[in-house]
Amino acid sequence: MFLILKYVAKLLKALSSEASPNQLAGGFILGMIIGLTPVLSVHNLIILILIIILKVNIGMAILAFLIFSGIAYLADPLFHSFGIWILENDGLQDTWTSMYNNELWAITRFYNTVVIGSFISALVLCVPMFPLTKVGVVQYRKHIHEKVMKTKFAKALKGTKLYSVYQTVARVRG
Amino acid sequence: MRIKGLIFLAIITALGFLISWISIDPIVESEIEYQASIANGALVEIDGFDIDLIDLKIRWDRLQVANPENTMSNSFETGEMELDFLFWPTWWERVIVEDIIFKDFKMDTERETDGYFEIPEDEKNAEPSFVAQVIGDVTSEISRNANMEFTNIKTNINVDSLMSKLNLQAPDKIDSLRNGLSRNYQKWDSTFANTKINKEIADIEKTINAIDVKKIKDPKKAIEAIKNVQKLVKQVDSLKTRAQNLKNDFQEDFGDSKFSVGRIDNWIQADFQRAMNMAKLPTIDPGNIAQSLFGENLLADYSGYLEYVAIARKYGGRLVGEDKDKIERYEGKDYKFSDKYDWPKLWIQNIDLSGETKTAIQLAGQITNISSDQKKTKEPIRFDLGGKDDSNRSMTLTGEFNYLGNEPRETINFTYDGFGLKGTKISPSELLPYPLKTGTGEVSATVSIIDKRFDSEIGYKAKGIAFDFGQNPSKDRIQQLIRDAVSSTDQINVTALVDNLDGPLKVKVRSNVDDLFVNALKSTVSKEVDRARQKIESRVRSEIGNRKEQLLAFKNEKEAEIRKEYERLENRVNEEIKKVEEKKEELEKKKKELEDSLKNNIKDRIGIDW
Repeated sequence: MFLILKYVAKLLKALSSEASPNQLAGGFILGMIIGLTPVLSVHNLIILILIIILKVNIGMAILAFLIFSGIAYLADPLFHSFGIWILENDGLQDTWTSMYNNELWAITRFYNTVVIGSFISALVLCVPMFPLTKVGVVQYRKHIHEKVMKTKFAKALKGTKLYSVYQTVARVRG
Repeated sequence: MRIKGLIFLAIITALGFLISWISIDPIVESEIEYQASIANGALVEIDGFDIDLIDLKIRWDRLQVANPENTMSNSFETGEMELDFLFWPTWWERVIVEDIIFKDFKMDTERETDGYFEIPEDEKNAEPSFVAQVIGDVTSEISRNANMEFTNIKTNINVDSLMSKLNLQAPDKIDSLRNGLSRNYQKWDSTFANTKINKEIADIEKTINAIDVKKIKDPKKAIEAIKNVQKLVKQVDSLKTRAQNLKNDFQEDFGDSKFSVGRIDNWIQADFQRAMNMAKLPTIDPGNIAQSLFGENLLADYSGYLEYVAIARKYGGRLVGEDKDKIERYEGKDYKFSDKYDWPKLWIQNIDLSGETKTAIQLAGQITNISSDQKKTKEPIRFDLGGKDDSNRSMTLTGEFNYLGNEPRETINFTYDGFGLKGTKISPSELLPYPLKTGTGEVSATVSIIDKRFDSEIGYKAKGIAFDFGQNPSKDRIQQLIRDAVSSTDQINVTALVDNLDGPLKVKVRSNVDDLFVNALKSTVSKEVDRARQKIESRVRSEIGNRKEQLLAFKNEKEAEIRKEYERLENRVNEEIKKVEEKKEELEKKKKELEDSLKNNIKDRIGIDW
């Protein structure tokens, strides 16, 4: 609970002005990739490591993961069909076969229709989502942030002891 | 770059390694012990287990496999063992072992603790396997012959007491067969009584009779009537088909009944045989004598070997075709671009075994390609073990368990040669109670099982033998005759054939001394046996009475009734077909007549010849 509240608070704070739009958009697209693709995949381990070691916003990554997990649940049959199309594409057969015969590639399970379909869809989506998120952050700061901070949820969050503890810790940490 | 993130990752990775380093050995060890114990039916224990994730090796100091029949001993145990497994298959939850070396392999060793293992309910296999059934049949054959007495024949058999203990089964079986037949006949009576065929025949007949050909004056009406009759033709054809189907069902039903009635003699014979066994009356023929002399020892060992075949088949069969392609809605489908990862769940490519048997033969050899799915390895399990000891006793065991085809095939060849017979008795039978002064033995067995077809031969040779009859000649006439007969024999060859190639399992035992025994017994106890036999046979037949004859008479009478009923129905259908065909022809003729007359009228009026 503390962890979730911590990241919600951190996200609100980051959205206000602390983090750069690039960091927020970076966290968002990395969280989106994990959300759209099957969670227990090897490539998600790499994405997770990237989230931890790159200066992207973790709260934004969690938010994107939650949103896109729900979308993926509905879109999996589409990813499956897209995956079939990709894996059966005549021009790519040699590539798939040589990748399949290489154990390092094979453990990513790219030969599964949903894994490859969702992963490529997520990568393609990154292209518009990164600038869109940046624009969204700027617009949020300009027009929406004030209103959000006045909502009962934000006030309640600020009023909790956990939040004040978090604020204190954050101040001490600098 | 987030430095704290990097440190966090490093700590998590280090912790992960540390935890798996500490906990993996006991987890894997207990899982292997548990699964192996279920497979074995008794405890399997591993001491000094160690798994090395860097070198990809598993080793242990000692493995004990308890004997399910006697849990205070081990079927076998091994000393140090080391195996190498491949890394990549573990990502696909597969264990591929290239090489295992078992040292200090020992059979039949004593245990310090009880090796009993409680098999969980859901792991128990309620249905006995085919091989288990064969073992059961062979075992019952052993016990049947173990009770035979050849020398102490009771001529004053109390038949009343014998019959009260016997509980004849044939009368109940015959009555039950009669009830079954009776129900079947009732079913057919009701089929004929309720069939709609009779009513439909009557309707067709009514329609046919209503068509009066003489009254038809117009070709159009003739065509209409022909169309109606054509419909009737289809209807009677369908009636014929239905009648034919009834006949087929009827023949099928009574075909089964005939088969059942044919079994009555077997039931009576089985009751008689049980009575003979209970009275311990032997049938004096070479087969029976050989089985009584040597069958018990030979077949008991044989049943023991078959247990191993049963275990191999059980696990070979259970895991065939383990990975079926499945498409689940949200899991997607895995594409295979090559068969590179088409591994079975477990594949032990080679086992090098060395050790010694309980009789101190130094055994060594190889077992190759043990796998959970031979269709993936494309290799059957093969084993080739053998060895000798200082006194020239030798043992070989070769074979193949092949589950590559549609039918499982097992072939096993075993020989054990050169063991001493001095001081041992060659047979547990009262007919041959003498120990041997000298001799060596050889046992060989060949077993071939293809699906449920079973063919095996076990041979036993006692070479260079001399019996120790003691100092004094026997006062018993039979014993003296047997002594005289076997004293000149220096070799005994026994062959047991167990197969089910022509139907039920047959066990035949033959030896080169059968005729000697038959002659000795025929000249002494044969008449007593025949008298007692006749007494029992006549009593069994009188108890069963004329049930068989009554049943046959009942069957013939009822079948004749039903056949008559069917023939009556068939004749009515055929008659109706004939009537419909006749009516059709009549109508065709009438139509032609009317058309001709119409043509002539027109010709007359316009003066044109068509």
